[in-house]
Amino acid sequence: MNPFRTAPPLTQLGSLTGLAVAPLISMRAVSKAYQTPSGPFPALRTISLDLPAGAFVAIVGKSGSGKSTLINMMAGIDRPTSGEVLVAGTAVHALPESQLSIWRGRTIGVVFQFFQLLPTLTIAENIVLPMDLCRTYPAAERRPRAIALLERVGISEQADKLPAALSGGQQQRAAIARALANDPPIILADEPTGNLDSHTADAVLQLFADLAAEGRTVVMVTHEREITNIVTHSITLADGAIVLPATERMVGQQEPVEVGHG
Amino acid sequence: MVRMLWVKLIRDLWQARGRTATMILAIAVSLFGIGAVLSAYSILSREVSRNYRETNPAAATIELDSVDNLLLANVRARPEIADAQARRSVLARVQVGPDEWLPLLLFVVPDFADLRINRFWPDAGAWPPPTGTLLLERTALPVLNTQLEAYLLIKTPNGMPQRVRVAGLAHDPGLAPAWQERTGYGYITPATLAALGEQPVLDQLKIILRDQQHDLASVDLHARNLATWLTAKGEHVHEIEVPPPGRHPHQGQMEAIMLLLFIFGMLSLGLSAILVATMVSGMLAQQIRQIGVLKAVGASTSHIAWLYLSLVAIVALAAWLLALPLSGIAGQRFAAVVADMLNITIDSTSLPWWVYAIQGAAGLAVPLLVALGPILRGAQVSVREAISDYGVRPEQINRWSDRWLAGLRWLDRSLLLALRNTFRRRGRLLLTLSLLAAGGAMFLASLNVAVAWQQAIADGMNARHFDAEIRLNHAEPTDRVLTQIRGIPGVSAAEAWSYAEAGPLRAEAFEIVRTYPDGGHGSFLLRATPPTSRLLQLSLLSGRWLAERDSDGVVLNHLAAAQIAGVKVGDRVQINADGHVAAWHVVGIVREIGSPATAYVTDSAFASAQDLVGRTNAVRVVFTSQDPLHRGAIMRAIEQTLADSQVSVASVISDTELRLAIDGHVVILIVVLLLMALLMASVGLLGLTATISTSVVERTREFGVLQTIGATPGLVRQIVVSEGLVIALLSWVLALVLALPLSLLLGTVLGNLAFQITLPLVYSPQAVAVWLVLVLAGAALASALPAWQASKLTVRETLAYT
Repeated sequence: MNPFRTAPPLTQLGSLTGLAVAPLISMRAVSKAYQTPSGPFPALRTISLDLPAGAFVAIVGKSGSGKSTLINMMAGIDRPTSGEVLVAGTAVHALPESQLSIWRGRTIGVVFQFFQLLPTLTIAENIVLPMDLCRTYPAAERRPRAIALLERVGISEQADKLPAALSGGQQQRAAIARALANDPPIILADEPTGNLDSHTADAVLQLFADLAAEGRTVVMVTHEREITNIVTHSITLADGAIVLPATERMVGQQEPVEVGHG
Repeated sequence: MVRMLWVKLIRDLWQARGRTATMILAIAVSLFGIGAVLSAYSILSREVSRNYRETNPAAATIELDSVDNLLLANVRARPEIADAQARRSVLARVQVGPDEWLPLLLFVVPDFADLRINRFWPDAGAWPPPTGTLLLERTALPVLNTQLEAYLLIKTPNGMPQRVRVAGLAHDPGLAPAWQERTGYGYITPATLAALGEQPVLDQLKIILRDQQHDLASVDLHARNLATWLTAKGEHVHEIEVPPPGRHPHQGQMEAIMLLLFIFGMLSLGLSAILVATMVSGMLAQQIRQIGVLKAVGASTSHIAWLYLSLVAIVALAAWLLALPLSGIAGQRFAAVVADMLNITIDSTSLPWWVYAIQGAAGLAVPLLVALGPILRGAQVSVREAISDYGVRPEQINRWSDRWLAGLRWLDRSLLLALRNTFRRRGRLLLTLSLLAAGGAMFLASLNVAVAWQQAIADGMNARHFDAEIRLNHAEPTDRVLTQIRGIPGVSAAEAWSYAEAGPLRAEAFEIVRTYPDGGHGSFLLRATPPTSRLLQLSLLSGRWLAERDSDGVVLNHLAAAQIAGVKVGDRVQINADGHVAAWHVVGIVREIGSPATAYVTDSAFASAQDLVGRTNAVRVVFTSQDPLHRGAIMRAIEQTLADSQVSVASVISDTELRLAIDGHVVILIVVLLLMALLMASVGLLGLTATISTSVVERTREFGVLQTIGATPGLVRQIVVSEGLVIALLSWVLALVLALPLSLLLGTVLGNLAFQITLPLVYSPQAVAVWLVLVLAGAALASALPAWQASKLTVRETLAYT
């Protein structure tokens, strides 16, 4: 049985459906070029897209196609050379560095391929950290929330261990719990299963599917071939440009992803 | 800063506890140095001043024919005089071995119960000394090789040798210790002086002024006015002595030591600052991905900056807490050593608050300031840069050094890897090299200056081609004395080198000398010099040496020149020698170590000026043998011969005694320099340890890759150790260059403070070799542990490392 097919339709979730009308993530003619010793290297070429709230989007493509750059633009981790990035009503490309961190901490949950848990903090402390930094929850509520999130991802018994004591799959679950710490509407994941075995990868993907089903927008860079079975939309990149129109796999009533070259 | 960042900070410090400890230790060593210096300085400046002040040193001492009670009462009645007392000092001789006599300065005190000026205190035994006995200054016991209640054979200028019992000991903080001066100090009553064969007359008038006791110009003025008044009343003023007010005779020496310690303390703090910068850069490089993650989950630049600044502050605070008690104890111990050197008693070793404050400020502020740059740069790195940092950026390749290193294909591959790694992070390499090179340069400079001291003293001694100087109590016929001495077996040459206590005359009627009560410090001599003599060959600083035709020519040694402001060759100077005033034409200035300020004139000119034609009061003698036993026999024969002809000997100063006295003055400086050298070396090597450890941690993944492609743990160890050795070797070359200006600077500052000379620039080959061995051995040791740790990592561990 494919576990991902059990994901509930987005329309059954109340809070974010209102955003389905206006795009939650919107990119307008975004280009990015990196300076290299052999000259400028175009990582993204005039990309425009709109992603609605509640979408579960896969960004696929070969290595060097610009997948990570695209997701980094959405997170405000990277800035476009030209073009605009609007996320949840905020012009991310124009946000000063001083405001970007707090905005990101509250709005975006980031999941990395190599988990990137802080090695000297316990699993629970890693999850409390974003709440500490952004002060989204009263101090007394932070640890109980961290434990609840760990329960949600199925590793609450590992709460007080250091990351090194956990398996890769457990660490990635912890990283997902950390991404949820501030209850962000958007989860961005850069190859979250790239470092996991297939069984663990399936479990992690299920977690993302569940999050999308709750109404969060999940954008994931991935190499998983069967991902199209569970995502609502997928975008294929090649040489920094969208090469295939978005395949729209409707789950319930869902606004289409609008993509195209600017 | 948010709570969880504090947790991270503490855990990070604990996880890297080896490096944390190294960093704490390095800063603590520097703070220890600074703290010890400040502690010693605060104690000594307070206690030296208190000790010297409590002796109530005379503002001026006026030497007259005699000072009686009526004269004293009249002097005390003058409005500017707060107090006046009479004393006398007599330079006698004391036998310290079968053939050995040393100078014994006897202070004659009329009333031991009423010491008000130049006071001293009972230390042991009787007080006051009964007639026929003496008190010895406590530091004289080892010099005179005697003890309480023992008998000494003493001979005064006009008396016969007599056995005198040591009835007690005194402590006189106003005198430099006897062991340094190679002179005994004794205290007797006028009755004992009479028993020793001298007239029991007091001839020194010691005064205390009501106002401006510490203003030299004011003291000079009042002393001259008093001398004028005394002359008007029919007294004969021989000399006025005004030592520098409020300054202990060895104050300059103490200040030189303190300055030296302070310079090195600051330099070592500079070293530890470089170390902190190196380690913080390393730590930031290692945690760059974590910084990216922190920013990705909501941390701002200021969060990151505070995190790492707090980390540095904690390290600095720990170093301060570690250094604080130890430096206090070391400072107190060191103060005790210097106190012994200055012959003072330390009443209180309490440290003022500012010692802790300065040490804390230096310990906290300096590391934070130097870490601020790397931390701000690290905190401002963007999430993308941080997450995708691979250690080597493309733009770092393709420099000349990379191309040059790439061309080195004939080298052993592990050495090649080590070389390339060394140059990979140029900023870090530069910091590490600066640290180690600065440590090495200071090590070399310390030893160079120590050798320069020895060389300066050796040069000073080598300029003297005689074995002993015999000073007589009265001028004797030159021909007779010389004939007698030259006739003694073992004497190869003898020349008359008469002398007179003197002082450069300024415009005033009465000359003032800066001599202390011990008669040695600050003294000035006029010397009769046989122009063709080869017994003294001093190096010329300007002008020329004396010629026979120089009827009014004078050559000043550098100490004498320093007492006559702005004097140069061609100038005319007036010198008052034992009341005889003469004008001299300066023909040369020479450098002389081991002698007081001296003005050399030809023997014929001296005889005319001093009214001593055909007579002499000092003879310099050359022996045929340098064998100590033989020398002893010759000295004994000379003494016997002179005694047989009723010639009264004031003192015999052998070059051995002189060398001991000079060494006594500089030994402490050399010991301090060597201690500082070791301190610098240890901070430098601690820095290297920290850098190599950081570098190994950063390259954990690289070592994993190396092992997956076939590198053995042994090869990994070899690469790491080779890297340490390459850095050490580079730093050694840099240190050799840096040590040159540093040695020159230190030699100039210290030489001038202690002897008023610039020490020669000496490059000690031994120091160079020792530092090479030390730095290579240190580097091997410093890299051995990180190398071992690197080779113990499994491939899985290294590749999983984030």
